[in-house]
Parts: sequence; structure tokens; C-alpha cells
Amino acid sequence: MEKNEILKKVETIFRSVFDNNSLVLTTETSALDIPEWNSLNHMILISEVESAFSIRFKLRDLNMMRNVGDMIDLIASKL
Amino acid sequence: MAFTSLHFLIFFPLVVLLYWITPFRARWIFLLVVNYLFYLNMKPGFTIILALVTLVTFLFSKLISTVNTEKAKKNSLILGITFILLPLFFYKYFGVINNAMVALLTEHGLTWPLPEMKLFLPIGISFYTFMAVGYLIDIYNEEIEPVNPGYLALFISFFPLILSGPIERAGNLIPQFKEHKTLDFESITKGLKMMLWGYFMKLVVADRLGIYVDAVYENIPQHNGSSLMLASFLYSFQMYADLGGYSLIAIGTAKTLGIDVIQNFKRPFFATTMAEFWRRWHISLISWLTDYIYTPLSFSFRKYKVWGIILALMITFLISGIWHGAALTFLVWGLIQGVLLSIEALASKSKSNFEKKHSLSNKGFYILIGSVVTFLLFSGSQIFSKAASLDDAMLVYSKIFTDNFHLPYRDGYTMLYGFIALSILMIKEFNEEYFPGKIQLFNNNRTVFRWLSYYFVIFMILYMGVFGQEKFIYFQF
Repeated sequence: MEKNEILKKVETIFRSVFDNNSLVLTTETSALDIPEWNSLNHMILISEVESAFSIRFKLRDLNMMRNVGDMIDLIASKL
Repeated sequence: MAFTSLHFLIFFPLVVLLYWITPFRARWIFLLVVNYLFYLNMKPGFTIILALVTLVTFLFSKLISTVNTEKAKKNSLILGITFILLPLFFYKYFGVINNAMVALLTEHGLTWPLPEMKLFLPIGISFYTFMAVGYLIDIYNEEIEPVNPGYLALFISFFPLILSGPIERAGNLIPQFKEHKTLDFESITKGLKMMLWGYFMKLVVADRLGIYVDAVYENIPQHNGSSLMLASFLYSFQMYADLGGYSLIAIGTAKTLGIDVIQNFKRPFFATTMAEFWRRWHISLISWLTDYIYTPLSFSFRKYKVWGIILALMITFLISGIWHGAALTFLVWGLIQGVLLSIEALASKSKSNFEKKHSLSNKGFYILIGSVVTFLLFSGSQIFSKAASLDDAMLVYSKIFTDNFHLPYRDGYTMLYGFIALSILMIKEFNEEYFPGKIQLFNNNRTVFRWLSYYFVIFMILYMGVFGQEKFIYFQF
């Protein structure tokens, strides 16, 4: 799967979790850009991404996710 | 020696002077010696525990970084954390559990093999133990590389932080110890300003309010509901000025040595939700709990979605309660925080939609309501932190909610000085929260205003400060 496709799929998940259909993601988007992206919603997001891509993250992976770009790289490495 | 002791006022300038004239290569050794001298001055015997915790942390950090398999790494981490936590558990909880067993079995005519005991808590153990555990987990997560035992000892025993935090991370502090720094007067000035304000918060605000709070809480049955309500509100401010003031002195002391330490408080009483409050209150402890307890737990429970988060929140705040003290009151305190945060987590989506629909987020009255409700919830929970027992806490609640209104207990100068000091603190914070950079006092461009504000605060400390206490609330934790 191309990284662009992953970004589009991740964007759909973000829109659903944050209940915001106008949300547009870039690889630079981070928690600072989305007020609702807090430590509570983060785990729900992680769980939804895991289900959607049928992958499993490790706790250590979470520390490496600084922005959406990092998340996409990690997903790509697990597909 | 406490920061408010006369010893510290002699020790501190001497250390800063010698630190900066010591050649860079020897500076860390000088600082390590100073750290141990500082701790030896408090309770010499407990220095052995500090050294042992450091040794165990070093040995296990080496083990974790040398074993090859993931399983061996994990087992080494678990064993290492267990050994590091042993002294904390022994001194903080063993005596309490033992005495509870003695009381329980005696009541039923049975005997417990050990006598009743009172163990003195080694000062700062709750703080440096958490720093050591954090170091080991960071090594396990490959976020930092193990350092030599000297630098590790320096990190764990760093004298500005050892008594009551802030609970620092090795990744922030150790590189700064290694960095070649030249004498920087701006750093020293910034540090001194923080210390000056910290002393104001501690000596003028916290210790003055403490006189009223203690007078009421030490005689709960004799005081009416209004006095208990006022004392409970004031206790929140006292707690903030005490640990917030202590933290500023600690951070300022480190700053004069050219070391930047994590901010511990960020105007907590302007938070509009409990979640925001906990991002502003005792930040170093909460971020430690978030990174090393809440995140791993919520990650493990992630398949349960929002309920997994709630479970993780409850466990994290129960641990936070137990960390504060081995008493049922602290357990209830932790439970209340967990419940309040869980309710907020469950209601967050609906609340956010409601705020958007009515464009409330930036409305002054809405922010004010949020701040007041958050303050009331926090102060309500703090009754369990202040009361000596669950019965006392329940008595405070029942008096607050059922007593007929009477004027609260008044204590002439204590209340007058306390309210003046608290007003100055809150006006300063209001200005920083809503008009950042508009009115500058300690950082005013005009020398005359700057120096006038220094002299004013020094005058306030000398004239209205409470001296001779040398106690900080968080020393007991």
C-alpha cells in the first residue's frame, strides 16, 4: 500500500474518532494541531488504526510517533 | 537542610560560587560531592539508602542494555524496578500494614509476630525512587543510553530536586550535566528571580494560610461549617503556594548552576476542567505517572476503548493516592480524581459539541464557571488529603453541608496578611494567564521598576513572612 493511500485511510479514521468530517491530515499534523487529540483519544485512535490495517503496535512504537508522518511510516513498516 | 533554613542561605551562594570557578571537567564531581553533603546534612543514615538505590539502578541498567533477548530485558527491568521500590515500600507502607495487622489481630484475641512500629520516612525517597525507576524504563525503551555510575549518582541525588522534586528525567538532566557551560549571568539572574518568587509563595502565602488551616483542621469538632469550608478552600491555595513555591526555589537553584529543570506548576487555578487542572498541577509527577503507568496501562486495555481508558485512569490515580501516603484517606483522594476524570472523559464529546453549538469556548463567563467548578471539585477532594482520617473527612463534609450559616472563625492578622498575600499571587497569575507579557515587574525593561519590584517582594517576605517553620508539606510524601 502506498503511503498516500495509508494517509487517506488514516484520515478517515481521524475524522470518525474526532467526529470532524472536515479534518484534513498532512504528514506534519501533530497533536498540537488537533485540540481533541489528547492522551485519552490517542489510545482509541491507535486501537482503530490497528483494526483498520490489521496490524499490532508495540508500546515502544508509540514513543516514536511524533506526528501523522511517523504514524504512516510505522504502519507501512508493519504491512 | 530545607530551602528556608539559614544553613541554605549560606550553603547556596557558596556552592554557586565554587561551582562556576571549578574547571568544567571537575564540575560534575564537585556537584556530586555537594549533593551528598546536602543529603548527609538532613539525615546521615539515610544516605546509605540513596547510595544503594543508585547502585541497584546502575547494575540493572547495565544488565538491561547487555542481555540479548527481549524476554531477558523485560525480566531484568521488572526485577530492577522491584529492587528499587523495596526501600520505598518498606519505609512508607510496611509500618502501616504491620500496625494494621497488630490492631486487627489483637482485637480478635490473636497475636502478630511483630510489635507495633513507627518508621521514619527517608526524606525525598518518593521522589528520587521515581527518578531512578524512570531512568531504568527509559534505558529499557532505548530512549537513553546508560551512563557511568558517577553521572547516574549525580542525576538521582541532584540537590535542588532531591527533597521534593520536580521529578526529572535522565534524558533532560544528564546531557545538561555533560554540556560545557560558561558562566552565564543571565541564567543566574533568572534563577534568583524564580527563587525570590518561590520564597514569597512559601513564606508569605503558604505558611500564613497554613496557620489558619491548621487551627481549624486540628479542632474539627469545635469549628462550624463555614470555617471548615473556608479552611478547605485556603488549604488548596496553601498546598499550591507550598509545593509551587518549593518547586520555584528548586528550579531557580538549578538555573543558577546553568541547569534547566521541568516546570512543575502552570497557574493551576485557571484550569477550566479537571483534565486541564492535572496538566497544570504537579506536572512532573503527573507526566511521570502518564508516561510510565497510564500509557502502558491504557495501551494494554486499548481494545476496551473508552472503558479501557477509564480503567487505566482509575488505577493511575489510585497509585498516585498511595504514592502520597499509606492511608485510606489518600486512597479515597485518588479514587475521587479517577472518577472525576473518567466522567470528563465520558462526557468530553457531548461537552465539546455543546460548546461549539453555543460558541462558549472563549466566553468570559463560561471560562469563569469552569474555573470555579474545577476549583470546588479539587478543594472538595483535598479534604481527604488534609483530614487525619476518613471519619474526620466525613465530619468536615457533614458540617459544611448541614451546619446553619455562622460567620467563619476569624484570626486577625493571619487572615489579613494571608488574604493580601494570596491576592498578590492571584493577581500576578491572572495577569500572566490572560495578558501575558503586558505588565512586567521582575522582567520590566526599566531598571527602576525591576528593582522596585524586587525590593517590594523582599520587603513583603521580611515583613509578612512566617519564619522558623522549615517544613514543606511535600517532605512527608
